[in-house]
Amino acid sequence: MSTRISFILNGSRVTVDVEPWESLLDVIRKKLGLKGTKLAFCRGACGGCGACTVIIDGRAVYSSILPAYKVDGRNVITIEGLASPEGLHPLQEAFVEAGAIQCGFCTSGMLMSAKALLDENPDPSDDEIKDALRGNLCRCTGYVKIIEAIKLASKRMRRPAGGG
Amino acid sequence: MRTIRKFEFLNARTIDEAVNTLAAYKGKAWPFAGGTDILRMMRFQPLPENLYPEVLINLKTISPSLEYIKEEDGILSIGALTKLVDIANNALVGERYSALANAANKVASPQIRNMATISGNICQLTHCLYFSKPDNRFHCLRKGGSECPAQLGDNRYCSIFGDVNGCVAVNTSDIAPALIALNARIKTNKRMVNAGEFWDVRVPGSTILDEDEIVVEIQVPRPPPDAKSVFMKFSIRSSIDFPIVNGAALIGDGVARIALNAVAPKPYRATKAEEVLKGKTIDETAAEEAAIAAVSEASPLSFNKWKISVAKAIVKRMVLNTKSR
Repeated sequence: MSTRISFILNGSRVTVDVEPWESLLDVIRKKLGLKGTKLAFCRGACGGCGACTVIIDGRAVYSSILPAYKVDGRNVITIEGLASPEGLHPLQEAFVEAGAIQCGFCTSGMLMSAKALLDENPDPSDDEIKDALRGNLCRCTGYVKIIEAIKLASKRMRRPAGGG
Repeated sequence: MRTIRKFEFLNARTIDEAVNTLAAYKGKAWPFAGGTDILRMMRFQPLPENLYPEVLINLKTISPSLEYIKEEDGILSIGALTKLVDIANNALVGERYSALANAANKVASPQIRNMATISGNICQLTHCLYFSKPDNRFHCLRKGGSECPAQLGDNRYCSIFGDVNGCVAVNTSDIAPALIALNARIKTNKRMVNAGEFWDVRVPGSTILDEDEIVVEIQVPRPPPDAKSVFMKFSIRSSIDFPIVNGAALIGDGVARIALNAVAPKPYRATKAEEVLKGKTIDETAAEEAAIAAVSEASPLSFNKWKISVAKAIVKRMVLNTKSR
């Protein structure tokens, strides 16, 4: 039996009918048309690759194993919610500059985990960054450039706006 | 992508409503907490047709909420629906019940810990590679079949302490050994159970819970002031993976409690190792003796003798770690 749910998606309220067995990932991609959140090798069974990571109420979670039914009334941010009309998010810019992207499939998940981290801890140590990325796999870059990118973004985001 | 199995959600408003619904559906309803395992089960369908739920009972809607951590009169009480991330990050738990905080922090990955609950972790299904294969590829003993494919097949990660009714799958909870080492109690809607007795030997059951029974609270007595508790986990990757062997220990102040998991169909209390440590000063020799005693009753299968060495190393390191303060 489908249920009408309503939640905040990237700052705007959306209302959508979902079936109890539909994952949030399916609803975001198929019903709401946002294709930035990825389904990877887990085929929806969660091998812990992290490509489907979204942020719900400030915390990074896997959208592939979360029934959409459960996000009624909550605040969801996907990769599409990162950039603003003015331009890319500092994390996105840093990923591009540091070369933290190769095939790009893990990138949206990496960025969401990184955003959840920086929102809570604006100046993380290397170990804290590694811990925050423990649920995301990248098969190309070897992680070093991803960690560098997050450090770069952290540094820029902590600088007061308009300052040198 | 595979077609997922269909089911309905029911929101429970009270504990009574949840357990009454469970009873009414006679096994065709499952409680739903963090849900990190359930969508996978419904999509990959490792079980035979008769074992799936028609209804999932959402426990998050129960009022008053079962999500809390508090310490009163020397007892730490954790609500059944408390997320692992909140246990791992709780300063009080980290300071006085460190084995539990460390265990919570070692489960799977950050995203899973942000969703998964303590009760879901301790009620997870006892499983092996064969049990988990999609489409009930192996109709094993645990599913009502007549033989255990792991006994003669790939049993690298299976039990080193014998079978239960022929099944050699292991319990892979990281929280379980910590609760046993810390002498915790598990409160259900029906009774209070010592952690050591919570995991059952029945096949296909993984816990002692009845069909109409749910975990309500975990209670952990504050350890003696001079005792130290530790948790240790060995897995292929340092995150995401289930343990190959894990363990927890509470040692000091005249107390020695050691539990291992992923080594048997239910968590294994290393009582022989505890006896060895009684009245001894912890040093390299005592730790080595405890480690040998912990695995003295092991009876490995054809491909998993190596797990004995892992279990030994974990016991030895845990014992030594309780010494350094």
